[in-house]
Amino acid sequence: MGHVSLASVQRMRIMLPLVRAVGTRVTQALLTVLGISVIIWGLLPLAPGDPALRLLQARGVQDPTAEQVAAVRADLALDRPLPVQYIEWLGRAVRGDLSVSYQTGRPVLEELGKRMPATLLLSGTALLLALVAALGGGLLCAAYAERWPDRIIRLLTQIGAAAPAFLLGLLVLRFVVVEFGVGRVLSGGQWQYVLLPAMCLAVSRAADWTQLLRASLLEALGAQYVLVAQARGATKLRLLWRYALPNAALPLLTAIGVGLGGLLGGAAIVEAIFTWPGIGSYVLEAISARDYPVVQGFVALIGLSYVTASLLVDLLALGLDPRLRTPRTA
Amino acid sequence: MKFSQLLTRQASMPVETIPPTRSLWRQLLQHREARVGLLLALFLVGLALGGPLLAPYDPNRPNYREKLAPPSVEHWLGTDQAGRDQLSRVLVGGRQTLGTALLILSLIFGIGLVVGSIAGMSGGIVDVVLMRLVDIVMALPSIVLAIAIVGVLGPGFQNLILALVVAWWAYYARLTRSYVLNARQRPDVIAARLAGIGWGRIMLGHVLPGVAAQLLIIATLDLGALIAAIAGLSFLGLGVQPPTAEWGAMLSDSRLYVAVAPWLLLGPLVPIFLVVVAANLLGNALRDILDPARC
Repeated sequence: MGHVSLASVQRMRIMLPLVRAVGTRVTQALLTVLGISVIIWGLLPLAPGDPALRLLQARGVQDPTAEQVAAVRADLALDRPLPVQYIEWLGRAVRGDLSVSYQTGRPVLEELGKRMPATLLLSGTALLLALVAALGGGLLCAAYAERWPDRIIRLLTQIGAAAPAFLLGLLVLRFVVVEFGVGRVLSGGQWQYVLLPAMCLAVSRAADWTQLLRASLLEALGAQYVLVAQARGATKLRLLWRYALPNAALPLLTAIGVGLGGLLGGAAIVEAIFTWPGIGSYVLEAISARDYPVVQGFVALIGLSYVTASLLVDLLALGLDPRLRTPRTA
Repeated sequence: MKFSQLLTRQASMPVETIPPTRSLWRQLLQHREARVGLLLALFLVGLALGGPLLAPYDPNRPNYREKLAPPSVEHWLGTDQAGRDQLSRVLVGGRQTLGTALLILSLIFGIGLVVGSIAGMSGGIVDVVLMRLVDIVMALPSIVLAIAIVGVLGPGFQNLILALVVAWWAYYARLTRSYVLNARQRPDVIAARLAGIGWGRIMLGHVLPGVAAQLLIIATLDLGALIAAIAGLSFLGLGVQPPTAEWGAMLSDSRLYVAVAPWLLLGPLVPIFLVVVAANLLGNALRDILDPARC
C-alpha cells in the first residue's frame, strides 16, 4: 500500500494552485502573442500602395513590367485570400523568418538582432537606475513622511513625472554632453556611455514608482502588524525594511511590469536623440526609407520582449504572494 | 461643469448641504497642488487661444537675413533656421499641440466609453471577444504601436491622430467596462431594473453619467502623457509636418542647431514641460479629492 504522507498532501495543497495559476498565465501570454501577431501582420496590408510594386522598387526596378509584378505577386502569395496570407506569414514568422529588409536585402531578424543588445543594455540600465532611485526615494519619503526629505523628493517626483524622456535627453545632450564633454553624442553603444541616455529614460519611471512606493509604504505602516511590532520595540528601520517593504513591494512589482512597456518604447526616442545604435533609431531610419518589414520586425521584437517581461513579473508576483494563486472572482 | 456635478452624485456619498459642484470646486481650490495646476492650465490655455493674436510676427514667414538670431528686443526667443520668430511660433504652436491632444483625448474617450459599456452590459461572448482585443492592444507599448502605425501609413498629422487613438483607446475601454460592471450592482440600478426600466435607459440615466465622470479623471491624469506622446512623435518627425508650428516639431528642428543656437530649444521645451506639469497636478489633485483612501 503506497501511502501518502501528510507532508506531501500539504505540499500538493500549496503547489496545485500555483501550478494552475502559472499555467493560466502562460496560456494567456501565448494567446496574447498570437493576437499581437495579427496586428503586426496587419501593418503590411495597411501600408499605402501595391506591396508587389513596393518590393520591386525597393529592389531597384524602377518601371516593372506587368509580368514582373505578377511574378512577385505569386511569390508573395498576394493573390491568395488574406487569412491564408496571414497563416503563411505566421508559419514563417514562427520559424524566425520575418522577410527581408527592403533597404539591405538581408533578413529583418538578422538586422534587428545586431542592434537588439544595445537597446536591451539601454532599457536594462534604465530599469536598474529607476528601481534603485524608487527604492531609495520611496523609503526616504516614508521614513520622513511630511518632513523636509519627503517634501523635497515629492517635488522632484512631480517634476520628474512631467519631464518626457526626449525633453530630458535634449537638455542633457546640450548642457552636459556638449558643454562639459561628459559622455558622447555619437556613441557606438558601449556600456561606458549608457549612463546618460539611461538616466533620461529612467527619470519618469523612477518618479512614478517612488510616488507609488511611498503611498503603499505609508499604507503598510498604518497596519496593525506594524503597530504590534512597534509596541514590541522594533526600530524604525526594521519596521520599514522588514515589515512595510515586503508588503509594499507587490504593487510596485505590478507597476514595474506595466512600466517596462514605457521603458522599451521610450528607448526608441532616447536612442534617436543620443544616436544610440539600438533598434529604436534603426526603425526610424527604416520608416523614412519605407522599409516596412523592418517596422514589422521592430514591433514583433518589442512586443515579444514586453509580453515575456510582463509574464516574468507576474510569475514573480505569483511566487511572492500566495493570495494571487487562487483565481479571482470578478 | 456637468461632469463634476455628476461626480459627486456617486453612491455612498453623505447628504450634501451645499451644491455638489461648489463642493468639488471648493475642494479643488483648497488643494494646494490643484491651485497651482489650475493657474498654470488657465495661463497656458489662455496663451494657446490668444496665441495667434499675441504673436508679434507671422510665424511662418521666413526672413533669411535674420536666421538663427539670438534673443533680442525684437525677437524675445530668437529666430529659427529660416529666420522665423520663435516666440510667434511657440505662441501659435500651442494651439496645435493642445488642440490635437484634446481631439485625440475626446476620440479615445468616446471609443473607450462605447466599447467598454457594450462589453460591460452585454457580457458573454461579446464581452470576452472585446476584452481579448483590449488585452492584445494593451500588450504592445502604446508608443511602439503608434510609431509602427505612423511608420507604415506615412508621417502626417491625420496619421498621427489615428495612430495615437488606435494605440490608446484600449485602456479606457477596460476601465469603462469595470466601472459599468460595478455600477450594475448599485442599488439604484437594481431598483430601476426591478421597476421595469429598460437597460438602454438605465445605461443613459444611471450608469453612464457616473462612469463618464470617473473616466474624465483618468483622462485628466493621462493628458500629460498624451501631450508628451504627441510632441515626442512630432519630434521624431512622424507627426505634424513642417512648416506648421508645433512644439514637438519645433523641438526637433532646434535639435539640429543646438550647438549654434541653444536658445531655440527653450522656446518649445518650457511650454511642453509646463503643460505636462499642469495636467499632472490637476489629475493627482482630482484623484486625491475623489479617492481619499489613496493619499
